[in-house]
Amino acid sequence: MTDSTADTGASRVLGGRPTEATIRTTTTITTVKNTSGAHIELKNVNKVYGEQTVPAVENFSMDVEPGELIMFVGPSGCGKTTTMKMINRIIEPTSGSITVDGRDVLSLNPNELRRHIGYVIQQIGLFPHMTIAENISVVPKLLGWSKEKTRNRVDELLSVVQLDPKTFAGRYPKQLSGGQQQRVGVARALAADPPVMLMDEPFGATDPITREKLQVEFLRLQESIGKTIIFVTHDFDEAVRLGDRIAVLSDRSKIEQFDTPANILRAPANDYVASFIGHGAALKRLALIPLYDALLGRATDARGTASLSETDSLRDALDLLVLTGLPAIGVTDASGKVVASVTVDQISAELGDDAGAGAPGVLS
Amino acid sequence: MTGFDLPGLLAFWGKRYDDILQLVGQHLLVVAVALLLATAIGVGVGLLVWNSPVGRSLAVTSAAVILTIPSLALLAAMIPLFGLGWVPTLIGLTLYSLLPIIRNTVVGLREVSPAIMEAATGMGLSRGAVLLRIQLPMAWPVIVTGVRVAAQLTIGIAAIGAYVGGPGLGQMIFQGLSSLGSKNALNYALTGTLGVIVLALIVDGLFTLITKTTTSKGLRA
Amino acid sequence: MTFEAVIERDVSVAPAELGVRRARFWTLRRIATPIVIVLVLLALFLWIQTLEIDSIMARTLNADYILLRTREHLELTFIASALVAVLAIPAGIVASRTTSRLLRGTILTIANIGQATPAIGFIILLAIIWQIGFQTALIALVAYSFLPVLRNTMVGLSQIDPSVTESARGMGMTPGQVLRRIELPLAVPVILAGLRTSLVFCVGVATVATFIDAGGLGDMIVNGLKLQRFPVLITGAVLVSCIALLIDWLASIAEDLLRPKGV
Ligand SMILES: Nc1ncnc2c1ncn2[C@@H]1O[C@H](COP(=O)(O)OP(=O)(O)O)[C@@H](O)[C@H]1O
Ligand SMILES: [Mg+2]
Repeated sequence: MTDSTADTGASRVLGGRPTEATIRTTTTITTVKNTSGAHIELKNVNKVYGEQTVPAVENFSMDVEPGELIMFVGPSGCGKTTTMKMINRIIEPTSGSITVDGRDVLSLNPNELRRHIGYVIQQIGLFPHMTIAENISVVPKLLGWSKEKTRNRVDELLSVVQLDPKTFAGRYPKQLSGGQQQRVGVARALAADPPVMLMDEPFGATDPITREKLQVEFLRLQESIGKTIIFVTHDFDEAVRLGDRIAVLSDRSKIEQFDTPANILRAPANDYVASFIGHGAALKRLALIPLYDALLGRATDARGTASLSETDSLRDALDLLVLTGLPAIGVTDASGKVVASVTVDQISAELGDDAGAGAPGVLS
Repeated sequence: MTGFDLPGLLAFWGKRYDDILQLVGQHLLVVAVALLLATAIGVGVGLLVWNSPVGRSLAVTSAAVILTIPSLALLAAMIPLFGLGWVPTLIGLTLYSLLPIIRNTVVGLREVSPAIMEAATGMGLSRGAVLLRIQLPMAWPVIVTGVRVAAQLTIGIAAIGAYVGGPGLGQMIFQGLSSLGSKNALNYALTGTLGVIVLALIVDGLFTLITKTTTSKGLRA
Repeated sequence: MTFEAVIERDVSVAPAELGVRRARFWTLRRIATPIVIVLVLLALFLWIQTLEIDSIMARTLNADYILLRTREHLELTFIASALVAVLAIPAGIVASRTTSRLLRGTILTIANIGQATPAIGFIILLAIIWQIGFQTALIALVAYSFLPVLRNTMVGLSQIDPSVTESARGMGMTPGQVLRRIELPLAVPVILAGLRTSLVFCVGVATVATFIDAGGLGDMIVNGLKLQRFPVLITGAVLVSCIALLIDWLASIAEDLLRPKGV
């Protein structure tokens, strides 16, 4: 197979066809416009390593909509990485089928396949002997892009990940801080605008402050690019913060629960999931609910001068209520006019709706 | 061209085993003495220079330059001064051993973590005491590794020493060369060469043992 | 916190790490070596000028003879090293690719025994079983300096951070592309160090080539000793030492220049 025919073949398979997708969030259905993501389906996928008798991944099935950001979360060694790496065939499945936009990845040339799947790993793996620009240009070069187009793309991507191209393009990886390297890793994976991204604990090696920054930036980025992303983490809070849907995995990559963060927090499927959520589930849920989604009081009930925007979360509201000691606080709309008020009781009621549905012990 | 003849070789060994053993003994002796000298000098130099960038660079560079000089050249160049015999070989082997020993001593002494040294100083040990009672024992495994490398090196080089009248299995090898064409040439050269190989492998094994027994129990993996 | 603030912070962190940590180019040894070589050769020349040259010494202490032996010596050294580079680097690549325990174990065992083999024994053995002369010396040199290059190629490839090669594969490079664009460039410093060792080895082993009539500067040393003409011996020894130092010096410069930037 020559490079050129293979390329067109592969772009037909995974190419960025803008589609519309629906993403389930807490209480609303958000429509993401212009997702360039692909549809991924794993069916009865198994992986047995070498001579081992116990599979590392057993009968794993999952359907991922275009443009969805799926988090795999679970303890170390449960098979998250193995499951993810079978999608770009860094690890070959023992059995089962994996399709991307309907095409069986096992029937594709693995190298061609990988050029259309972005790949970010915890250790980053930047090529130390190449400049930042050269690192990002690797896949465009493999795909035969012109010099001009590649150079423009490098500048564009560096800006996207908040690194000044003039300063950074000519540097070598070891001249960058850990957080900067991690951004370059993301930029490099995005280089050829792949419809699918696989990310294995991409922010795992950074300090908590840098990690949070990277997470916020990453969410913003995803809002505009709408890739289909499989994101592996062992940090449940990260999963809640970033994911459209979370797959909580246990040994052998068994799916204990696969749902939106809010649903998992509200109604953990079993004790395993509940223990994974840990303490403070109610607070974590509140952080996911914006004020405009809650049942609020009249604007005239508001006391004091402090107020919140309707896009703030219920958790922000609780925070302010506790801090000020006021019985009710005003909520403003986009124009800054107070349109409603919120009280602790109303916040409780939002949670209370479903408090009985899950495992009460955890939510108390 | 001489063919290989196993029964012939065995008969050769049977006839000259006391010669062979004597040469093995000489070989070991000259290497051992050279290593002892080089260890004394190398560790001493290492202790003196480990903390001085210029001294370090000077010591390691000089030792590296010595190691670059071809052994036949170094050994032969000493003949006008010391004549034929054991002395040029002994000096040559000692000089060649210096690089691995000095380098590993310096590396070993520098590897001791500043926290440990600060703790020792904090307990009232003088700088000299810290060096000799804390750093040196901790660096010992690294130093022994250096001596081990030097041993491998010198066992082979000692074979050339025979050309300048030095002791050891090299004599058999050169005997093979000088009897080129006779039926015993191969036996001589083969015995000398195999002897050196076996010696090197045995000594390497011995060093594993030395490392184990002379390293503080707390430092063993 | 806004992104701009974040970025400013990061940029201000980086310059501290900006000084790429490479070994300094102009080290003591780098500067001193050529000076020392020139001074030593000059001293040798002046010393010989003061000597009374008898007819036996005149046969060797003349420019033609010295140039001939030097050429022989360099020929042996460079042909052997070139052969080693061509043979041992691919062998190292193949050896590092194999998953066969047996093959790896065999290679390591041979490497260990090879390291323990005295060069003089090997070259004389080869002369006895085969023939004396240039070809034999060449084979001995190649066999003897094969190991450092083979071993360094294997080490150089195996010390590459696996996450780097995994990234390369994950980006869709073929195994050949991963080898050529990522692994070999990253292994270059270690492979070059092996070649440098092998070059210096070759100069040394080429000295004993004289024992099997393969020429080289060892001839001067041996003749000087045989004929009891120490100036000849010393000239040979000094020349060959200077050649070894010079080649090591040049190789160290090549090592620094060819090392990929950023590593
Ligand atoms: N290359 C491998 N060879 C053999 N076993 C492996 C390999 N990689 C992972 N495993 C095993 O498979 C299981 C799942 O590993 P992994 O997918 O890395 O888990 P996670 O990413 O969730 O920490 C673990 O028990 C691990 O020991
Ligand atoms: Mg993992």
